[in-house]
Amino acid sequence: MTDRHRGARLLLARDLRVDLRLLVLWIGALSLLVLASAVSIETLYPDAKDRIQAAAGLNNSPATVALYGPIIDESSVGELAMTKLTVLYAFIVALLLMVVVRRHTRGEEESGRTELVVATAVGRSAPLTAALMLGALVSSVTGLLAAVIDVGGGLPVTGSFLFGASWAGIGLVATGLTAVACQLSASSRACAGIASASLGVLYLVRAVADVSIGWLGWLTPFGWGTRLQAWHEPRWWVLGLYAALAGVLALAAYALRERRDLGSGLWPARPGRATGSPRLGGATGLVWRLDRAALGWWTLAVAAMGTLFGLIAPGVEDMLDSDAGRRIIEQIGGTGKLEDAMLAAVIAVSAVTVTCFGLMVVVRAANDERDGRAELLMSGPTSRWTAFLAATLTALGAVVWLLVVVGITMGLGAGRGPWTLVPAALAQAPAVAVVVAAAAGLWSLRVTWAAAGWGIVVFCLVLEAVGGLLELPDWVLGVSPYAHVPAIPVESADPVGAAVLVAIAVGLLVAAAGRFRSRDLG
Amino acid sequence: MDDVVLARGLVKSYGPHEALRGLDLVVPAGEVHGFLGPNGAGKSTTLRALLGLLRLDGGSATVLGLDPWRDAVRIHRRLAYVPGDVTLWPDLSGGEMVDLLLRMRGVDPAQAARDQLLERFDLDPTKKGRAYSRGNRQKVALVAALAAEVELLLLDEPTAGLDPLMEQVFRECVRERVAGGTTVLLSSHILSEVEQLADRVTIINAGRVVETGTLAELRYLHRTRVEATTIRPVSLDGLEGVHDVSVRADTVSCMVDPASLTPLLSRLTDAGTSALTCAPPSLEDLFLDAYRSPSGADR
Repeated sequence: MTDRHRGARLLLARDLRVDLRLLVLWIGALSLLVLASAVSIETLYPDAKDRIQAAAGLNNSPATVALYGPIIDESSVGELAMTKLTVLYAFIVALLLMVVVRRHTRGEEESGRTELVVATAVGRSAPLTAALMLGALVSSVTGLLAAVIDVGGGLPVTGSFLFGASWAGIGLVATGLTAVACQLSASSRACAGIASASLGVLYLVRAVADVSIGWLGWLTPFGWGTRLQAWHEPRWWVLGLYAALAGVLALAAYALRERRDLGSGLWPARPGRATGSPRLGGATGLVWRLDRAALGWWTLAVAAMGTLFGLIAPGVEDMLDSDAGRRIIEQIGGTGKLEDAMLAAVIAVSAVTVTCFGLMVVVRAANDERDGRAELLMSGPTSRWTAFLAATLTALGAVVWLLVVVGITMGLGAGRGPWTLVPAALAQAPAVAVVVAAAAGLWSLRVTWAAAGWGIVVFCLVLEAVGGLLELPDWVLGVSPYAHVPAIPVESADPVGAAVLVAIAVGLLVAAAGRFRSRDLG
Repeated sequence: MDDVVLARGLVKSYGPHEALRGLDLVVPAGEVHGFLGPNGAGKSTTLRALLGLLRLDGGSATVLGLDPWRDAVRIHRRLAYVPGDVTLWPDLSGGEMVDLLLRMRGVDPAQAARDQLLERFDLDPTKKGRAYSRGNRQKVALVAALAAEVELLLLDEPTAGLDPLMEQVFRECVRERVAGGTTVLLSSHILSEVEQLADRVTIINAGRVVETGTLAELRYLHRTRVEATTIRPVSLDGLEGVHDVSVRADTVSCMVDPASLTPLLSRLTDAGTSALTCAPPSLEDLFLDAYRSPSGADR
């Protein structure tokens, strides 16, 4: 190892120790999804005819193809079982790697800890090397586990390993992409934005490619998962694409790292305002100032997502009007009329996505307390109550706003008018509020517990994805607040259920605020 | 209301670690009170408790006549605080931060001495929080605290990271505020800083008060540190009021009570002195003493 990378192994060990819980939770959840999908396929589709019909149904719907990618070999058990995982859940794998790599590169650098580290006999590029090694390790383990679980679940061996390799490949690419993004700006949040926006665009390009312009799919790593043809006449060389792109990105990250100073980005930092805006005058103004840029980007992303989902929904009815197709739609959470079912299902997906923004706001506020910034804030005449509610209520307000955006854009996309789907989207708000309030509750108990709020979302997500497949009892499924939201427009609104969820959220918030007021700060 | 800060028997534990073990602190109105102690003595814990950021396990405290836990917001309206370790939002500029802190106290930044202070502290308000050095982060908090008139300034090692020139500016600013009637509680481990500003000091160690009084009153401060190189060996045996004697080769050093200075000097003269330094005691001497005291021994 050259001087530039000296100490990387030491840093890798530390990074692993820091991330262990996060990795176990995230990889565990992904593995569980793989397991549930692999073992349930035989129960869902007992004979080959059912499977072919289901696969054909999926392939005939532009909506599902845009979301999950096409099924190349309609007779393959493995491909049908892994259809959601090959493309859509690969995105979750990519997000995991983005979080992990950014934490240990730009995150550490912004906090000033990297300075301490590279001032010792540790090479300048060692933190980057360690993060890349960690990324490679996490990608490989995730992919390998997925492959082994698939084989254990009775799927063909070659296909299973190729599918696992595609996950590992996406992980490697996301690692390289994040490493490059983290060289660009001095702001850790901006780097996260660049990386996740790039991943989002790559996913969209893949959706467009799979629905219409096929060759575009070769330009995005999310398109390679299906083009690899893991389950039928595999194109082994596609694995080389992942490796090559990841390698190029990693080399680019090193080259960029050499061209910038520690703590700065490749893009020069713009000076800030010399004076504060009058709106930045209190706890709420501060939360707004800190999170508004992110909210803007989220609004755009959610609007794009809503429009896309809306656009592809009307086509479903004719193309997917078969028993198997209906079953697939049921499997992703909807019942009844197919178009409505599709819309209800994607609204549910959007609700979970939107929850993440609420959690981001709450966890950011908790980190302000952890890092001592809240001390400066609360030495002024800002009460604990105000500071706590400023963060949590802004989170809830933002979540409601994003749900409205989802409703409007989806309604417009589906050609049903802007307001038709807003009630359906807003029906999700009470469930989202319960999760956000629960995260706030964790924060109020102990400042370092706030991040465990992410665990709640992952838990609900896994429960929803796995619960039906594993035929878990209703009371277990009912733990997730999302399970109590009616699938509008298929089902009718449930005012009582909504009121109960709202009451739970309010109760959690009040208890949390009370607890936050009575404990030591920091 | 005479005492701006009145604390009796403060107790605060973090699990098995007792940070405060019955600490008393009295700061009368209009006074600059030095709050001295080594690292980990409990200075920051005391200030946080006085701000109501921590809940006390025992003892009673009033700040501006109010209960720091119950009336935190009312108290905070009337004071300004500079934490020992200033952390800023990485994406907020220094100017935004100062204005935010002022507005939260109900002060219009345009009416405050903000711009003048930014200039005096030579601080660029357009830089983002992440780009500031430690000293500049400190300046952001100082400008925000000093820009408006308050009744009480709570300063936790406020000059950490400042260069000597800026320390000078800081002292001037504090003096101006004190002239305007502000009470100051200044925590530090640097005696010289406290000496120049403080009327009275409280020295704490291991969560307890070691000494309190005016600087002149403190028994340790009456002593003189003497270091002498003698031509012939010198014996200090039998001299009253000479402490902490250490002899290394031909150099002897000790702490001397005022009354014993003359007898000591005559012995040194008898032995023939080639070098002699007399200095007021440093805070280090006080702390070393405090460490040796029973309250510090069990740490």
